[in-house]
Amino acid sequence: MRLIKEFTKGFWQELPPFRLVLGLCPTLAVTTAAKNGLAMGLATTFVLVFSNLVVSALRQVIPSKVRIASYIVIIASFVVMAELFMQAYFYPFYEILGIFVPLIVVNCIILGRAEAFASKNPIIYSLADGLGIGLGFTISLIVLGGIREILGNGTFFDASIMWSTFEPFRFMVKAPGAFVALGFLLGFINLISRKRPAH
Amino acid sequence: MRDLVKMVVVLLVICTISGVALAYVHHITEEPRQYSYVKFVQEPSMKALLKGHENDPIKDRIQLALGEDERGKPINKIVLPAKKDGKIFELAYGASAMGYIDVIEVMVGFKPDGEVIGISIMRNIETPGLGSRISEPEFTEQFTGIDLETNQLSAEGGKIDAISGATNSSIGVIKAVAVALEQFPQIQKEVFKP
Repeated sequence: MRLIKEFTKGFWQELPPFRLVLGLCPTLAVTTAAKNGLAMGLATTFVLVFSNLVVSALRQVIPSKVRIASYIVIIASFVVMAELFMQAYFYPFYEILGIFVPLIVVNCIILGRAEAFASKNPIIYSLADGLGIGLGFTISLIVLGGIREILGNGTFFDASIMWSTFEPFRFMVKAPGAFVALGFLLGFINLISRKRPAH
Repeated sequence: MRDLVKMVVVLLVICTISGVALAYVHHITEEPRQYSYVKFVQEPSMKALLKGHENDPIKDRIQLALGEDERGKPINKIVLPAKKDGKIFELAYGASAMGYIDVIEVMVGFKPDGEVIGISIMRNIETPGLGSRISEPEFTEQFTGIDLETNQLSAEGGKIDAISGATNSSIGVIKAVAVALEQFPQIQKEVFKP
């Protein structure tokens, strides 16, 4: 039961960019299209799951004074692996995401989960936590990227979905559009969560 | 004291393991990464240069080691051969040099005797509207039939008219083509060796 709880909390209760407002740098920068959000989210999920696994497995071994340094080495290793795999098998995404793939190292969601969860919990829960938070992050990026792509380009996952006379709001796929879309989404999510009883 | 030793040992072990793991992943992705680079960066330029071949130049790509660069790393060259009736009748490879903003990567196509059939810009982030015009045909077509002597700005006695307002970007392309021209004799010897 606890396993399900740890997995599902990433989808609403601790949804990283919208509820905890964490990891905003990639959230704002790469969500120009839904598929970019998907790629970034999956790369982050990969790193998150494996860093949680290793941090959790080594939680008795790592002395607390060097824990942050150890976590960063572990996270950075998985980020470089993710980058190499993307370069090898998903080159177009590697070009689009560019600098934001290496920047996953300093994504505070990942270090946050290592420090707040994986370093204190058994491996199986840490895996569920990493997978849940990662998928929640991925879905958030797809939602934000989808909104911006539909309004700014008239497409969703590159498929044209708006009526033919639709005039795209180009600025939605530019930098200011990210802030506007995120602002409305945060407001909307706060509106819903206010009506729910607080946990 | 024991704490100190433990900290050092744990960090050392973590770093060592991650180093080994990264070296391994780097090694196993070497082939596919190179293929992706050739496929997505070089193929569009190659298609503009090499025409009428019956083979797949990417599949038949030739890898050569051309000495070492100034930092002592071996220079790996990927040569794309265009074959007809089993014989190479054209080949192309990339070369790069510093432009105005960043490195400009140029692909140069050659006939087996060293005549330049043309160039194509693979990657540049020069100033839009000025330096970025190096990829326009009016500029790149000037390089057809060029050799080391004529590969100069026309102001310096060569055949290339620089793009006005983008002299440094133009010089960057000339430098990259010069690199390719200088490498040709060695590549010719390797590719056409009996």
